[in-house]
Amino acid sequence: MPAITLHDLTLGYERHPAVHHLSGVFASGTMTAIVGPNGSGKTTLLKGITGFLRPLAGAIDRGGLKPKDIAYLPQHLEADRSFPITVLDTVLLGLWQEIGMFAGMQRTHWDRVAQALFTVGLAGFETRTVNELSGGQFQRVMFARMSLQNAPVLVLDEPFNGIDQQTTADLLEVVRRWHAEGRTILVVAHDLALVRDFFPQTLLLAREMIAWGETRQVLTAAHLDRARTMSEAWDQSAAICRQEAA
Amino acid sequence: MSIVTRIAAMLLGLFLLDGTASAATPLKVVASFSILGDIVAHIGGDKVQVVTLVGPDGDAHVYEPTPADAKTVGNADLVVVNGLGFEGWLDRLIKASGYKGKIIVASNGVKPRTMAEEDEHEHGHDHGHAHGDSDIDPHAWQNIDNGKLYAKNIAKALIEADPVNEAAYRQAETAYLAELTALATWAGEQFAAIPDRQRRMITSHDAFGYLGDAYGIQILSPVGVSTASEPSAGDVKQLIRQINKEHITAVFVENISDRRLIEQIARESKVAVGGALYSDALSAQDGPAPTYIDMFRGNVEKIAGAMRQGR
Amino acid sequence: MSDPFALFIAPFGEFLFMRHALAACLALALGCGPVGMLLVLRRMSLMGDALSHAVLPGAAVGFLLSGLSLYAMTIGGAVAGLLVALIAGAVSRCTTLREDASFAALYLVAIAVGVLIISMRGTSIDLIHVLFGTILAVDDPALILVAAIATLTLFTLALIYRPLIVECFDPDFLRSVGGHGGAMHSIFLVLVVLNLVAGFTALGTLMAVGMLMLPAAAAHFWGRHFWSASLIAVVIAFFSGYSGLLLSFHCNLPSGPAIILVAGCCYAFSLLFGAKGSLLSRYRSGPHLTG
Repeated sequence: MPAITLHDLTLGYERHPAVHHLSGVFASGTMTAIVGPNGSGKTTLLKGITGFLRPLAGAIDRGGLKPKDIAYLPQHLEADRSFPITVLDTVLLGLWQEIGMFAGMQRTHWDRVAQALFTVGLAGFETRTVNELSGGQFQRVMFARMSLQNAPVLVLDEPFNGIDQQTTADLLEVVRRWHAEGRTILVVAHDLALVRDFFPQTLLLAREMIAWGETRQVLTAAHLDRARTMSEAWDQSAAICRQEAA
Repeated sequence: MSIVTRIAAMLLGLFLLDGTASAATPLKVVASFSILGDIVAHIGGDKVQVVTLVGPDGDAHVYEPTPADAKTVGNADLVVVNGLGFEGWLDRLIKASGYKGKIIVASNGVKPRTMAEEDEHEHGHDHGHAHGDSDIDPHAWQNIDNGKLYAKNIAKALIEADPVNEAAYRQAETAYLAELTALATWAGEQFAAIPDRQRRMITSHDAFGYLGDAYGIQILSPVGVSTASEPSAGDVKQLIRQINKEHITAVFVENISDRRLIEQIARESKVAVGGALYSDALSAQDGPAPTYIDMFRGNVEKIAGAMRQGR
Repeated sequence: MSDPFALFIAPFGEFLFMRHALAACLALALGCGPVGMLLVLRRMSLMGDALSHAVLPGAAVGFLLSGLSLYAMTIGGAVAGLLVALIAGAVSRCTTLREDASFAALYLVAIAVGVLIISMRGTSIDLIHVLFGTILAVDDPALILVAAIATLTLFTLALIYRPLIVECFDPDFLRSVGGHGGAMHSIFLVLVVLNLVAGFTALGTLMAVGMLMLPAAAAHFWGRHFWSASLIAVVIAFFSGYSGLLLSFHCNLPSGPAIILVAGCCYAFSLLFGAKGSLLSRYRSGPHLTG
């Protein structure tokens, strides 16, 4: 399974960089946490990797992966939570690559949906409509859908925000299983304790790379201090950046 | 000759020259719509230059004047309008143009009929017009006697504005009135030959009230005077029943309104639609109703012809 | 009151125009139910009324070229409506401007262009009144047009149902799986425009837009799922047409407004007493369940 390589990547909005000159590799099959203070460009980086945002400079080499091979769970879902769609139909969307736009649903599909729901602890929720779900339940439905997508790369942006501890533990279990299946996983997280316990690799971001590698070596006090000094605001009077790649 | 006489002769000569010079430039007359324009042209001949605001096939009820119209009116020597609330947009146009001259109301002296007389007809409708006086029927020209009044009023106004050509105007007026009288007589004969029972017609526009009064025609209409009002199924039902019961054969659409409803009614009661009548405007020069007289004659022919086919 | 047959059935038996009108109501209801539901869910409810103005320049061009020909003006109007809708959709996808603003910008320009074109011709005919019909005057060609559009709509929706729903519900997901969200949206817009233009020319603006939005808004308070809400919308639309026609027939009310008022009453009733999300359901008392 190919890796995702970043070459001197700069991503941003209207020429102001949210992420500067980032280079590195998300090796195949790794599970990496992306951490950093607010406004450090984590979500922007995910948007770049999933193809929602074009780089201002530099390149992303996805090793031949197509957009459908990268499953993405954004932080603020653009999905319309009040739409009258059932949990079953929502999770079924994960099988898009198989059933596509027109094919009908068969018994096996139903079974797989039921299995995915069971895995996230929502057995029996098939006929509920999404506007009846709580935040945590909706998040778990999204996880179930993601697991059915069977994508080699999974990208999640702060998936545990506002979720209770039991649910977080359940979902981490799902993530662990994905990792065991050899998938490449990128997760943006805030809870450093969780990151230390769970993620072998970490990328510490503060609009530019502070450290990237084994979690223990990245999350040192020195690195975290440097990250904290990052300036969050965009400099209105900034000159054109001529910095060489790090 | 003495000096005084010579000077007096010169001055007299200058005055005479002045008079003939002004007689050479035609009087600039602005008529509000095509029927009036036609009457003015017939009486004024080459002594007047007529400009019509609402042209052939135009709908004066919903007309919106343009800046070019304001300019035209501003330069006019005389303005001729119908009155009776026909031109709701006129006051604003006159003000905008700065015209300070005479405005001739052609319908002066006409005995107006009110729309309220329609109540005896079986239809419900409301008036979408912007009428000045919302109940008065402005289509007075559909009665030739009123048409003659129009001609007389216009002739009088032309003579007042351009007294030098009085003789020409009088001559034209007399000839035109004679034509109109002959037309009225002929129309009377046409309708007299049709029994009372068959003297009914259906049209989508309440514009023929004066015609109906003049010749004893009962006019039924499914919708109101303007195309903006909406018909009800009950009205349509009553009309169809009546057509069938009383064998009405004269069903007409008008040249500026929606023909579909009339056609639907005609289809259901198995009556052929008798062609288009011209009510508020003349047709283009190459059309069937380029002048007032042609328009009236054409309408009467169609109406009487359809009535004669009574079942 | 006289016997129910005379009241509810006989008018349609006796009069051809009533039968035609009822058939047109049925065709319209079938097409408008699901399309209206989608418009409500996508927050595009005001699009119908704006579109009735956007067709003006197309009708004006048709008028310029062929005079008062209904065919020319209808086709011109449809083209204009399609252009406005599709360009607005494209603008909202490619820029940060949302659909409602981009649509508003375009339809206003369309009106201005239309008025300009008409004034070039010199006459002051109210084109829209000539172009837009009334349900009592539905002749065979108009009926066939409305029925054909309804059939096309239902068939197309059945075909692209899944991607269209996802495009409404979670467009980013559709994009990530390569689901041609833009194409789906454009097809949907084409269906909306066709339904509306057919409705305008056969039945007039009030009825076309009213039958699109009111039953869908009412069904919103009853149906939990999209397909059930759409079905309820179809039923409400047809019921409004049938009752409105009878009201117009027996009580001499104008037909279009009568139908829309019945639809409005259905909406008010649903707003107050609907099964989900209505005012009553907020204050509904009754013992709660064990789980």
